[in-house]
Amino acid sequence: MSQSWLSQEERGSPLLMHLITWITLKLGRPAGRVLLVPISLYFLLFSRRARAASRLYLRRALARKPRWLDIYRHYFCFSATILDRLYFLSGRHGHFEIDVHGVESVQQKLREGRGCVLLGAHLGSFEVLRSLAVQFGEVPFAILMHVDNAQKMNAIMNSLNPALADSIISMGSPDGLLRAKEVIEAGGIVGILGDRIRPGDKTLTCRFFDADAELPEGPLSFASIMHAPVVLGIGLYRGGRRYEVHFEILAQSLDAPRAQRREIIQGHLQQYVSRLEHYCRVAPYNWFNFYDYWASASR
Amino acid sequence: MTDSQTSLEQEVAALIVQALNLEITPQEIAPAEPLYHEGLGLDSIDMLELSLAISKTYGFQLKSDAPDNASIFSSLRSLTRHIEKSRVK
Repeated sequence: MSQSWLSQEERGSPLLMHLITWITLKLGRPAGRVLLVPISLYFLLFSRRARAASRLYLRRALARKPRWLDIYRHYFCFSATILDRLYFLSGRHGHFEIDVHGVESVQQKLREGRGCVLLGAHLGSFEVLRSLAVQFGEVPFAILMHVDNAQKMNAIMNSLNPALADSIISMGSPDGLLRAKEVIEAGGIVGILGDRIRPGDKTLTCRFFDADAELPEGPLSFASIMHAPVVLGIGLYRGGRRYEVHFEILAQSLDAPRAQRREIIQGHLQQYVSRLEHYCRVAPYNWFNFYDYWASASR
Repeated sequence: MTDSQTSLEQEVAALIVQALNLEITPQEIAPAEPLYHEGLGLDSIDMLELSLAISKTYGFQLKSDAPDNASIFSSLRSLTRHIEKSRVK
């Protein structure tokens, strides 16, 4: 089951992704968006597994039985953010209206010279946060990812914005986390998506909506080892050209000695999950984990 | 255990066990056995924590851009050798 989201993500044929990229960058966003309609319909009809997962999630987020139209909107929202990612990664943010909340708290930490862990999720667009980099001054910035995702992202970045490819740090080697450590020590920001688990990850169980879900312990362990503040960063897609970015301080400084770490992290992780739940209710179609999110905790 | 620990290896093994709260004795770490994943089974978070403990104890920084990081962290023996070379206290 833990592999399922991987296969899901690879479903979008590379040829199709290239075509969308090309059309969007040559002919503009409206032309690219026209393509999202047939693409979303295609997935609506042919991706049984993702559809089932979407239903399981939407029933909770909408607090009612989801209709076909809801699932369509879920897919459309996902593909729209994938398309817009091209713009954010290539530095064309001018196309969007981005409404930002809570950025002052992060600026304050950075002014004090404290490097922050920016904890995101597969909820809306993490890339939209990148467009706000200018608001954080000249601090170093890196994103921590699992190796295979890092490779995939690197390929995309290299074709859009090679300078950014350097900011991707691959986890799973001793040097990876040493680099992340150096970014924190230099007063920078380390971004991590904290909502998906991988085989071999240490996990903790949290309550997400009405059932238990397993989440990785790693991102908050990293923050606690670095005594770094943890900031939640969520970029919701609100339709049209609108995005809404929310920053919230989840922990002023995560101090957790190893013996009590799991316990302390558990509390902060639950807080993170509860905030995700909140934003899922605010913008239900923004949840982009198209697999049964609760399955691993129920076994 | 076929291989016995040198005295600095014993010291580093004790540091590993203590820094990471491992439920083994330092003597149980075979000097040539991998620390990472298979072998001692440490993950990248453990390795980061270990790096910080080493910096604190021996007064030098492990850097991400060192070309030989993979081999430094490959075993107790290679890690100890690196500490011997780089330590300032």
